[in-house]
Amino acid sequence: MRKISFFVLPLILFVGLAIFLFQGLFSDPREHESTLLNKPVPSFVLPDLMNTDLTYTTEVFVGKVTLLNVWGVWCVTCAVEIPFLEQLKNEGKHIVGLYYDQDIDPDFGIKTVERVQQEVEQKLGQLGNPYAYNIFDVKRDLSLDLGVTGAPETFLIDKQGKVRLHHIGDINPRVWQNKFASVYQELIAE
Amino acid sequence: MMHFKALILLSFALFSASTFASEETYQFETDAQSALFFELTKELRCPMCQNQNIADSDAMIAADLRRKVYQLVNEGQSREEIIDYMKQRYGDFVYYQPPVNATTIWLWLLPLIFVFIGIVLVIRSRQQKPVTQDNAKLEAADKLLEEDK
Repeated sequence: MRKISFFVLPLILFVGLAIFLFQGLFSDPREHESTLLNKPVPSFVLPDLMNTDLTYTTEVFVGKVTLLNVWGVWCVTCAVEIPFLEQLKNEGKHIVGLYYDQDIDPDFGIKTVERVQQEVEQKLGQLGNPYAYNIFDVKRDLSLDLGVTGAPETFLIDKQGKVRLHHIGDINPRVWQNKFASVYQELIAE
Repeated sequence: MMHFKALILLSFALFSASTFASEETYQFETDAQSALFFELTKELRCPMCQNQNIADSDAMIAADLRRKVYQLVNEGQSREEIIDYMKQRYGDFVYYQPPVNATTIWLWLLPLIFVFIGIVLVIRSRQQKPVTQDNAKLEAADKLLEEDK
């Protein structure tokens, strides 16, 4: 009896530790639950990227299921993801861009909006345009309120304007299938 | 020789001055606010580069968080209010001190449990029953020793 416990106990401990560490190999450390889940999008008043006279508020999300995609022309992964987003758009999904610029530093001068618009037009001309419109997060305040850590990130917003899914990283066919597809269908049916 | 040393020292002084100049500079009205800012930027974790605090990190998000902390400190918000503000947006994750709840309680309990098990094992090994003398075996051993002589 003593001998068994002498060998079995360390074995159990070892196997437990091995399983725990093995799982760690496949977990994404950047993945953590959004605090906004099932809560409304934080309030904002921000201009349209292409026509700054136009302003948007949280009202724009009411009544339809929206994919809010955080991006910028400077973001390499975004360029990879845009063609797939365009495919989603062609399937009838409503995709809105949340654009923020890296070079616009609120404290040290501002790159002209015209320059940003030019860059965006050029980029979307090359890659295709999945966006119904782009909200221009001038000082990155909305990004901060949304808990955005970088680009690309995507929020799935329901018809009441509540955040139902927050994905960090790019959307590709695999991510769409595993993470978005079923939730999206549910929200459409609501 | 003396001059040469002075020159080296001077160049170091100039170098350090220039590196300071390239960093963000934040002005505070009071020393307490300044102290709070430096304390918080050390204790808040960068959501992008996870093993750095926001004071250390060069990521844009860290710069944005520093600016936000500066803004909130200047508005006169307290330490707890600012930490809560960040937690509301980036989760418990953003603060290096985890809250005690059902999942994290094990961080404190596991070490205690291990120490407890250790103590129990030590006590039990001390209380080993004294070996009972087996007279028959002793005699046999004595006989063997006798034979060897």
